[in-house]
Amino acid sequence: MDPQPTSLGAAAISTPGACADANVTLDAVSLTIRGKQGSIEILQSVSLRIAAGEFVCLLGPSGSGKSTILNLVAGLVRPTQGHVRYRAAEVTSPGPDRAMVFQDAALFPWLALRGNVEFPLKLQGLRRTARAARSEELLRLVHLWRFADRYPHELSGGMRQRGAIARALATDPAVLLMDEPFAALDAQTREILQGELERIWTATRKTVIFVTHNVREAVRLADRVVLMATRPGRVLHEEYVDVPRPRAANDARVSSLAAGIARRIASEVEKVAREEADDAWLAPGSRGHSDPRRHLGGGI
Amino acid sequence: MAAGVRDGTLVRAVATSAVRLVLGYGTALTLGIPLGIGLARSRVFKDTAGPVVLGLSSVPSICWLPLAILWFGLSELAIQLVVVLGAALPVAVATENAVRHVTPSIERAARTMGARGARLMFAVTMPAALPGILGGAKLGWTFALRSLMAGELLFVSGGLGQLLETGRDLGDTSLVLAVVVVIVALSRSSEIVLFSPIDRAIARRWGVEEA
Repeated sequence: MDPQPTSLGAAAISTPGACADANVTLDAVSLTIRGKQGSIEILQSVSLRIAAGEFVCLLGPSGSGKSTILNLVAGLVRPTQGHVRYRAAEVTSPGPDRAMVFQDAALFPWLALRGNVEFPLKLQGLRRTARAARSEELLRLVHLWRFADRYPHELSGGMRQRGAIARALATDPAVLLMDEPFAALDAQTREILQGELERIWTATRKTVIFVTHNVREAVRLADRVVLMATRPGRVLHEEYVDVPRPRAANDARVSSLAAGIARRIASEVEKVAREEADDAWLAPGSRGHSDPRRHLGGGI
Repeated sequence: MAAGVRDGTLVRAVATSAVRLVLGYGTALTLGIPLGIGLARSRVFKDTAGPVVLGLSSVPSICWLPLAILWFGLSELAIQLVVVLGAALPVAVATENAVRHVTPSIERAARTMGARGARLMFAVTMPAALPGILGGAKLGWTFALRSLMAGELLFVSGGLGQLLETGRDLGDTSLVLAVVVVIVALSRSSEIVLFSPIDRAIARRWGVEEA
């Protein structure tokens, strides 16, 4: 864990300590896809080093390529330029060492919870008894053992998400990729699951790359928050969260760090909105501050 | 109607039609489902065969009868062709839709676990698309039944359709009505015996969202 909270810009990318035993590395990664309206740059020269056992949150608005980074690390997408490496080896395809958790849990509806957790083990050719032992262990870890024979639609959103985490942990991956896993949950459930994830992470010491657009969630969970900017997706800023664990949901230091990051995002969002809205946004502004209606809030 | 049952004509007709229906429907499923999967998964196949399948599926199946007779003569094969074409195409279109609309994250999740190719298709995509495929299969059944009746009406070869035609020739309204009642019973009972249990099983597993 790196104790120094830094607030440098892109220069903070190669932080000492993280570099030494980097587990996942993105090296000047760019991704451009050809769409109907010409090509779109999804990621522009993104470099990240993530240490083994580190909990990193990617935070940013939609379109900043957060999920794309997960897909790259998972091996579902290949970069146009640059290198994605896992333990010094180029990532070319999905592997059981990198598991993913999705926003909608993505449990298989035709399998009971137990079958879902055993699915990746089955793909690996594990025997029935070994599978059963492993799925019991995992379902107990996420406190769902009682519900092992329930189908996904019989479970609440939070339970489904815990099931998805258990399934992702089944192959004992070194890296856990989480794509806004708690975004669709209500506030209480989300807080409970954040606590559970912290507990599981502390117990298993996986490398976690967690995508979210919730600032508090990012600061609450992460060792390091990577702030992304949009159009094209790039790293804007990185911040280490030096708050001891386990963290309380309403920890004051978490709140103040979150407030700082939120301010930074607000200015970025405003910048983007201005670019997006071009004429509509600039026109009233271009009339200048002398326009009294501007201050009264009228006519805008 | 009772007379029809007693002298055996109605029973024989039902048996003839039922055998044709099961044969033709079975063939239609074995052709239609792979065809639909192919359309959903292969870009090239979709671009080439897609419009043809869509176009052909809009042709009322009985329109194939003249062609079938030219090819196969007044034979069992001719009537089977009508049934198969009538049922396979809607099955294919429904299967394509079902496979195409499998929740993307489900397939992505499976891929991150290392599922690929045929394994991905049979262990993940097909089960995920099953409710939709079953809907297509049900549709196919109705289409098969309709095609068969139309075919038998125009084509002398035993079966319920022909019995209807006989009733008309003899001016026997009660026979015609009896056959209609039998057709209704046949389609309803096949629905109850065949599809309702599967439907219920699916609803139980998948939950209400997709049923």
